[in-house]
Amino acid sequence: MATLVQPRPGDDGVHRPNLPSASNRLPAVADYEQVDRDIIATLGPTLGWFAALGVAILCLIIGASAWTYQIYEGLGAAGYHPPVMWGVYIVTFVFWVGIGHAGTLISAILYLFRAGFRTTIYRVSEAMTVFAVMTAGLFPILHLGRPWKFFWLIPYPNWRLIWPNPKSPLVWDVFAILTYLTVSATFFYVGLIPDIAVLRDHETNPVRKRIYAMLALGWRNSEHEWRHFTRAYLFLAAFATPLVLSVHSVVSFDFAMALTPGWHATVFPPYFVAGAIFSGIGMVFTICIPLRKVFKLEHIITLNDLDAAAKLCLFTSMVVGLAYLSEFQVAWMSGNQFEQEYFWNRVFGQWAWAAWIMLICNCVLPLSLFSQKLRRNTTWLFLISITINIGMWFERFVIVVPSLSHEFEPWQWGGYHPTWVDYSILLGSFGWFFMWFLLFIKQLPVMAIAEVKEIVPPRLRRPADHSHDIDIGYPDSAITLEDRL
Amino acid sequence: MQGVLGAFREIDATCDAITELRKKNFSEITVFTPTPRHEFEHVLESPHSKVRVFTLIGGLAGLTFGYWIPIWISDYWPIVVGGKPVASWVPYTIIGFELMVLIGSLATVFGMFALSRIPRLTMTVGYDPRFSHGDYGIWVVAAPDRAGEVADVLRQHGAVEVRNER
Repeated sequence: MATLVQPRPGDDGVHRPNLPSASNRLPAVADYEQVDRDIIATLGPTLGWFAALGVAILCLIIGASAWTYQIYEGLGAAGYHPPVMWGVYIVTFVFWVGIGHAGTLISAILYLFRAGFRTTIYRVSEAMTVFAVMTAGLFPILHLGRPWKFFWLIPYPNWRLIWPNPKSPLVWDVFAILTYLTVSATFFYVGLIPDIAVLRDHETNPVRKRIYAMLALGWRNSEHEWRHFTRAYLFLAAFATPLVLSVHSVVSFDFAMALTPGWHATVFPPYFVAGAIFSGIGMVFTICIPLRKVFKLEHIITLNDLDAAAKLCLFTSMVVGLAYLSEFQVAWMSGNQFEQEYFWNRVFGQWAWAAWIMLICNCVLPLSLFSQKLRRNTTWLFLISITINIGMWFERFVIVVPSLSHEFEPWQWGGYHPTWVDYSILLGSFGWFFMWFLLFIKQLPVMAIAEVKEIVPPRLRRPADHSHDIDIGYPDSAITLEDRL
Repeated sequence: MQGVLGAFREIDATCDAITELRKKNFSEITVFTPTPRHEFEHVLESPHSKVRVFTLIGGLAGLTFGYWIPIWISDYWPIVVGGKPVASWVPYTIIGFELMVLIGSLATVFGMFALSRIPRLTMTVGYDPRFSHGDYGIWVVAAPDRAGEVADVLRQHGAVEVRNER
């Protein structure tokens, strides 16, 4: 909620500056009507959009065909041979759950911390979360020999009188992922309601207007509704914040609860959470940078926002780097020959190629973001984001496959060769994700209209008092309301 | 229900009009704003939202349910391991926590819907589509004999449009 004019009557006299507004200004946006105009203008489908949607659906069809083949032939078609019985599917599952985390970080955690730069990019991030978790949720099912039995993991009264084991990390996963999907989708939809009301009031096509009217639930923008909305949004953010930390911790328990070398480590939960946020911010850049260019939204998703997100990316990269070093240090100091052998094999042995891709992409290249010039260079940010996505997929590969291929007994050691089925399903997952995302950007606003309006100063009859504003020193924020008026 | 609707371009003018209407003892005032603003909470002296009650009840119910499910399952279908408890609260905290978040969040949304009185099938009187774009609105419930007084206050504070609705 924003404040610009008079304080509360009979207030204690302490003026509380509005931090989100102070750190984020949009000098190129004149008024609320322009916000509506610019954001609603992104909804018209274009030829490029149809082409991109076609490519995404093609990828999805390739993945779905490969899955059909796998169901017919069995899981052996996916390249699973002892000792490696977890491969690309589990790697990709962890990858997509991680992608989802940055969305919640940006929409919920940064909301609680009043980080202004989140305002323009959080809707895209939230959508990314929902679609990424929808994608991630497919992989445990894809990994089942009889995928139609997936619901056996959910505890429900059944004629077999059989219940799942609640001490199993796989059952924790079910609760964590389903909760995460439900809460993220709810958070996403609740935030959308006022914006859908804007679309409802703007739309002229009767069919679309009707659909928007139903989705807006009769929202009228009354102060009464906003009061409950902002409070509910705050509580949802407060729930989503520990949830985002718990979900990837639970995912890390899938590994850490096993005695396998390289997995059985207490550092896994924070390590996974940091990695998830890092990879998710990479994906936010991958999506937002082309989006702001194609939709001509550079004046709303400003370089300041990208700069601030890039700093977060750099920070999480260093946290991830520290986690890698901690793993090596713990293995070295443990005196456990299995751990030491495993980590040696990871970096200098059989899986060195994957480990070095991970280290270079996740720890070395992001250091370039110490340079402000590069942080504000969108081409460089986009390239870095691609390398982060690649690096983080390989991080999960390095966690999953080398441990299984190099366990305690040397006679058990083996290799892993993904087949065309694995690659096709991996490709299909990107098709599934981007298909939903592309459908979203043409049906619903890619930016939170109401929240962007909060950082646009409202029209006033009297000149505004700026004595309580905070100037945090960004180049754009030096432009004041008077300058614009 | 009948009353007067005023549309304003400026936020401070809207606040001034609300203050004056409250001074004249008009209590049923609904303010429309394209974005949430503290100024309106201040001039209307709105009470705190009760959404938190729903959140608390939902969260506690979820936590209880989240512990109860695995404990009941363990009791009904025991997996006996020597020296280990059949129902172990430490791992069950994960399920308890997840269901606390799940049911707490859903209860919060339910509370918001119930308190805001949405979903609403029809738009009630006193709404104009411009209030979701850039203008502010004040809807005052007033009997016909006082409608003129309300309209005067709204115009005096710069309303760009004033109309009677019922």
